[in-house]
Amino acid sequence: MSQPAASTADRHPMPGMMVYNVKLGMWIFLLSEVMFFTALIGSYIILRFAHPDHFAEPGAVLNVPLTAFNTFVLICSSVSMVKAYAAITQGDQKGLKFWLLVTILLGTFFVGVQVYEYIILAQEGFVPMAELYGVAHEIEGAALYGATFYTMTGFHGTHVTIGILCMWFVLYRAWQGKYSADNYGGVEIMGLYWHFVDLVWIILFTIVYLI
Amino acid sequence: MDAHAHAHEMPWIRRYVFSTDHKIIAIQFLLMSLFFLVVGGLLAAMIRWQLGFPSEPMPGGMLLPDEMMAPTPAGAIMLPEFYNSLVTMHGTIMIFFAIMPLLVGVFGNLLIPLQIGADDMAFPRLNMASFWMAFPAGLLMLVSFAVEGGAAGAGWTSYAPLSASGEYTGVYLGQQLWLISLTILGFASLAGAVNYITTIINMRAPGMTWFRMPLATWALFITAILILLAIPILAGALIMLLFDQTIGTGFFLPASDGEPLLWQHLFWFFGHPEVYILILPAMGITSDVLANGARKPVFGYHAMVLAIVSIAFLSWIVWGHHMFQSGMNPMLGTTFMITTMVIAVPSAIKVFNWLGTIYKGNIHLHTPMLHALGFVSMFIIGGLSGVFMASTPVDVYIHDTYFIVAHIHYVLFGGSLFAIFAGVTFWYPKMFGRLMNEKWGRIHFWLTLILYNLVFWPMHSIGIQGHMRRIYDPTQYEFLQPLQPINQFITVCVFALVAVQAIYALNFIISIWKGKKAGNNPWHANSLEWTVPSPPPHGNFELVPIVYRGPYEYSAPDVEEDYWLQDTPPPSETAAPALEPQPVAD
Amino acid sequence: MAGNGEEPRYFLIWFILFVLTMAEVGYAFLALPQWLLATGLILMALWKALLVAIYYMHLKWEPKRLWILAASPLPLAVILVIAVLTEF
Repeated sequence: MSQPAASTADRHPMPGMMVYNVKLGMWIFLLSEVMFFTALIGSYIILRFAHPDHFAEPGAVLNVPLTAFNTFVLICSSVSMVKAYAAITQGDQKGLKFWLLVTILLGTFFVGVQVYEYIILAQEGFVPMAELYGVAHEIEGAALYGATFYTMTGFHGTHVTIGILCMWFVLYRAWQGKYSADNYGGVEIMGLYWHFVDLVWIILFTIVYLI
Repeated sequence: MDAHAHAHEMPWIRRYVFSTDHKIIAIQFLLMSLFFLVVGGLLAAMIRWQLGFPSEPMPGGMLLPDEMMAPTPAGAIMLPEFYNSLVTMHGTIMIFFAIMPLLVGVFGNLLIPLQIGADDMAFPRLNMASFWMAFPAGLLMLVSFAVEGGAAGAGWTSYAPLSASGEYTGVYLGQQLWLISLTILGFASLAGAVNYITTIINMRAPGMTWFRMPLATWALFITAILILLAIPILAGALIMLLFDQTIGTGFFLPASDGEPLLWQHLFWFFGHPEVYILILPAMGITSDVLANGARKPVFGYHAMVLAIVSIAFLSWIVWGHHMFQSGMNPMLGTTFMITTMVIAVPSAIKVFNWLGTIYKGNIHLHTPMLHALGFVSMFIIGGLSGVFMASTPVDVYIHDTYFIVAHIHYVLFGGSLFAIFAGVTFWYPKMFGRLMNEKWGRIHFWLTLILYNLVFWPMHSIGIQGHMRRIYDPTQYEFLQPLQPINQFITVCVFALVAVQAIYALNFIISIWKGKKAGNNPWHANSLEWTVPSPPPHGNFELVPIVYRGPYEYSAPDVEEDYWLQDTPPPSETAAPALEPQPVAD
Repeated sequence: MAGNGEEPRYFLIWFILFVLTMAEVGYAFLALPQWLLATGLILMALWKALLVAIYYMHLKWEPKRLWILAASPLPLAVILVIAVLTEF
C-alpha cells in the first residue's frame, strides 16, 4: 500500500490550533476548570433539587445587595484587565501597568468583601458543625446549604486569590519591561484566566444568590 | 546544535533529577511506576494469602507491626482492618500509581514528541512539575500505611458514607491522606494532559497530518482529553469528601441529608473515562507493535482512529453501569445498559482490525509482538465478560463478586499490563540505547501468560458461585467452603506469578548495561522516533523532519526494504528534493 | 486581536454587563412562578457569560476551531447534571 507523494503543501509546519502554545495551553487548562466547577455547582444543584427544604429563599440568609455590588466590582476588574491587554497590544507600557494595578485593587476588594460576608454569616450561625467554630446556634440546613455555599464560593475566591498573586507577577514583569506590542502572551493568558474566573462568578452569583 | 552543548553543561541534578527533557521525565515515571507496580503486586500477594489460607500465620508476617498483624505463638495473623486497607491500597496504587503513570506518564512523555517530530513538550517545566507532583503523591499514599489507624480501607472507590466518616472504618488520617494524595496526583495528571494536548495540536512536524500520526500518539491524545475533563470531576468530589471528613460538611452523609449516591455518580463520571484512560494507550501501543511484528500496515487505520474517538465519547455516557445495584432510577439504568452495549461496537472494530493486521502477515514473533498478541487475546476475554455485566439482569447476579475481579484483571492486567510489557520492551532502546534480552523476554512472556490465566480464569467460576469481591474470610460462609481449594490454587499461582516478574525486573536492570546496542532502528519500524539515535539526543532531531507518509508503510512495493521511514523522501524526489530540511529553531 | 487596529468597545460591554446584573437582581425578586424566575435568570446569566467569553476572552477574533475546543466540555457538564437530577 503506498500513498501519493507528498505535495509541497505538506512541507509547511502544521497549522494546529492557529494560536500560540501558551494561549492554547491556557484554554485547555480552562476546559478542565469548567469540569471542576461543574462538579461543585452540579453538586449544589443536585443536592438542592433533592432536599429543597434545606435551602433558603434568595435573600433570606445571603446578602444579595452586597454581593450584587461585589459582582459589579468583579465585572469592573474584568474591563480593567482587558484594558491592560489592549494597552500592551498598542505598546502602551504605562497603560499596561496602570490597568493591571487597577485590576489587582478591584480583585483584592472583591476577596475582602467576600471574607467580610463570610464573617457576618458565620456570626449568624450559618456554618456546618457550629460547635467546631464556637458559634452559639446553627441555622437549620447549614450542613448542606452552608457546605455547598462555602465550597463553591470558597473555591471561586481561591481562584481569584491565585489570580491576584499571578497578576502581581505579571505586574512585576511589566515593570521590568518584559512585555511589548510584539510580546504580550503573558498578559493575554493572565487575562484569559481572569475573565474565566469572572465568568464563573457570573454563573455562581445567579445560581447561588438569585435562584 | 546549541541544545546539545547546553545539555552537557547542565549540572547532574538538572539533567537527571529536575530535568525538563521529556525522555528523562519518561524514565523517571517508568522507575516510579515500576516501583509502585512491585508494591501493588506484594499487596495483592498478601490479599491472596488471607483468601487462600484464612487466619493462618502469614510467612513474614512477624515483620509487620501489631496494628496490621495479630501475633500468635505460631506466627502473625492478618487483622480484618488491615485486609480492608490492603484491598483499598492494592486497587489505588495499581490504578493511579502504576498503570496510569506507566501508560500516560511514560509513553506519553517518551512517544509524543518523538512520534510527531517535536523537539520537546510544549511546556517542559510544567512537564517536570507533573512528575514532581506525582512522585510525592505516591509517597504520601505509602506513608498512610504508617499513620495511626492505618491506610484507607473503604475500597478504591471510597463509597460514601463508609468513607465519609472515620467512625465506620476506624481509619481517620489514612483516608484523608488518601484523598489528599489523589488530589495532588490529579494536579500532576492535569499538567501532563494540558502538555500532551497542546504539543500534539500545535507542534507536529511539517507533513505530520492528523491521519499520519501513529496510533500510539492518537490514543495518547484522546486519553489526554479524557484525563483533562474527567480528573477535575474527581478532584471536586475528593475535596467535598475531604470536607465531610474534616470540617463537618454533609455532602455525602445521610445524617445531614447529604446524598451518598451523589458520590457514586461523581466518582463514576470520572471513573468510567478513567477505565478508558487505562486501556486506550495500551490499544495504541498494541497497534504499533502488531503492525511492526506482522510487517503489514495497520488494517483500517482510519477506522482505528474513529474507534478510539467514539470509545472516548461513549465513555462519558456509560458511567451508571457501575451503579446498577445502587437503587438508581430504572429508566436511567436501561439507558446506561444500552450505551454500554453500544461501546462494544468500536471495541470489536479494534479487535477485528488487529486480527486483520496480522492476517497473512510475515509475522516476527519478537517479545513485544508476543505481548501484543497476549494483549489482544486477553482483551477479547475481558471485553466479552464486560458485555455480560452490561446487561442489568446478569449484573444483579454477578455484581460485587469475583466475576468482576476476574473481568477487571483481564482488562487491566491481561490488557493494559501486557501492552505495557510490549511497549517497554519495544521502546526500551529509545530510553536506554540497548535492547532487552530476547530469550528471557520470551520466557517471561510465556510464564506470565500461563500463570496469569491460572490465577484469573478460575475467578470467573468462583464469582458465579457467589464468592464476594471484598471478603476477609470466605470460609465463614458454608456455601463458599467448597471453593476453598480453588482459592488456595489461585493463591499459589499468584505467588508464582509475582516471582516470575523477577525475570522481567532482572532483564530490565541488567539490559541497561549489558543489553545489545540498539542502533537507530532495531525493529525496522517506520515512525519518526526510529530515525534518531537511541537514546535520542537532547532536542531529539538535528533537522526538523519532513513527513511524507503514514507510519505503517511496511512491505511497500515502492522500496526494497520492508519498512519505509516516515521522513524518507519518495523515490521521485530523492534526486532533487523540493525543500531542504530546515535546522531546528532554538 | 481585532486586526484592524480599532479597539473593541470594551466599556460598552461593561455597561451591558452592569445593566444585566441589575436586571437580574430586580427580576429575582418579582412575584413570578419559580420555573419562570429560574429560566429568566439562567438566560440572563448565560448572556453575560457569553459576552465575557466573546469580547473579553476575544473568542470573536479567534479561529473557529478554538470555539469548538472551548465549547467541548459543556455537553458533558449538562449530561452529568441532568442524568443525576433524574435520580431525585
